[in-house]
Amino acid sequence: MRDLRVRYSTSALGYVWSVLDPLVMAGIYWFVFTQVFDKAVGEQPYIVFLLTALLPWMWFNGAVSDATRAYLREAKLIRSTKIPRTIWVARLVLSKGIEFIASLPVLAFFAIATGAVLHWEAFYFVLGVLLQAILTVGVGLIVAPLVVFFRDLERATKLALRFLFYASPIIYGIPDLEKLGLDGLAAFNPLAGIFSLYRAAFFPDQLDWYAVLIGGLMSLILVAIGILVFVRTERAVLKEI
Amino acid sequence: MSDNHVIRVEDAGIRFRLNRRSRRSFKDLFAGRKRRARADEFWALRHVSFDVTAGEAIGVVGRNGQGKSTLLKLVAEVMLADEGTVHIGQGVAPLIEITGGFVDDLSVRDNVYLTAGLHGMTKSEINERFDEIIEFAEIKRFIDTPYKHLSSGMRVRIAFAVISRLEEPIILVDEVLAVGDKAFREKCYRRIEELLRGGRTLFFVSHNERDLRRFCTRGLYLDKGELVLDGPINDVLARYNDDYGVQ
Repeated sequence: MRDLRVRYSTSALGYVWSVLDPLVMAGIYWFVFTQVFDKAVGEQPYIVFLLTALLPWMWFNGAVSDATRAYLREAKLIRSTKIPRTIWVARLVLSKGIEFIASLPVLAFFAIATGAVLHWEAFYFVLGVLLQAILTVGVGLIVAPLVVFFRDLERATKLALRFLFYASPIIYGIPDLEKLGLDGLAAFNPLAGIFSLYRAAFFPDQLDWYAVLIGGLMSLILVAIGILVFVRTERAVLKEI
Repeated sequence: MSDNHVIRVEDAGIRFRLNRRSRRSFKDLFAGRKRRARADEFWALRHVSFDVTAGEAIGVVGRNGQGKSTLLKLVAEVMLADEGTVHIGQGVAPLIEITGGFVDDLSVRDNVYLTAGLHGMTKSEINERFDEIIEFAEIKRFIDTPYKHLSSGMRVRIAFAVISRLEEPIILVDEVLAVGDKAFREKCYRRIEELLRGGRTLFFVSHNERDLRRFCTRGLYLDKGELVLDGPINDVLARYNDDYGVQ
């Protein structure tokens, strides 16, 4: 809450900004992959195909890149209160998650405009949100404390995120990887399974239970590592900031 | 554990590194444990044990850098002990780094709600006390001014006003009040006395003997990270003056 209020207290456009970002990105990719190149990837309508993964990606990307500064930016505040220190990461995931939910009408708009059909698999959306929340908290808990000790990690994380954007099935789908024989490997990127859950709402063929299972396991492992890292570094972080 | 011990510190210790700036790079990470510069560590506090019963007023005495503020931070639970245990039975209103929770861009009004909320006050409680807080800080005119435009004195004033209205049974006071002008400091002290009469437990760090004698009944004397003496405030001050002979 605090995040949203601080963020928008000084900007008049407020909500529009959180929607504008994915919209501009989607516009660019839509232009490149359906107008410039022949469409060889994804499914039609491509703009809906793109947004079903791009919007959740914005959530993951925003939360993780903000998590790199979670403890440094709020150092003064953290030093003055004793509320559980996991909150500083959790609230980033939450506020970005709210932005994600708030941007869904954009997806609905394009789905209606292009006449995409909604399938019963839309219920997997809930599972997708749950898995993604677990994954994002896990990654955040790993990144946030470590950045305090290794400042380079902030830049490394940005780079890794940019890599991950193209390495995840966002502008393409898991079936496109099958042609290359990379789908088995891609499943170990938890985002692949999660995005396939979201996509199943409009494109049931994109659902890949193998990727979901591996992705779910990876998410749980990451959150376990995250909690471990967090618990082991908490004392040192408090001294450091 | 007996019921009327609100604070119980047992053999607590906390250590810091001496020779390292906070920045490390990846080079250190890959350099391995052995090649990394061996960090000297020192114990800011060690083997500190004491119990506090509800309603006690305790003054913490010692020279600069002997662990007074660190002890307060342990009691406030904004730092965690490396060894031993610190058990705090009740809520704490920490008057240390009090301006920390304030956001520059938000107005004074929003900041009051935010900070008080962060310390566990509900919205209706804040509504009830809002006027009281603003009046205490004497900044009625600046209520909708962004926090960043306030003077440093005003910042401390509003922060003190908020924290001292928290209904917490334990109050920690570091030397924060040195910033305010004389009249406001006196006002703060009267507020602290008022809280003490209400049965609160006080932890007070100061170099000012008069203030210490005014509020405190019991003293803790810290030297080189150890608790040297725990006794009535007058004894503790006498011992401190003996050791560091300024009469």
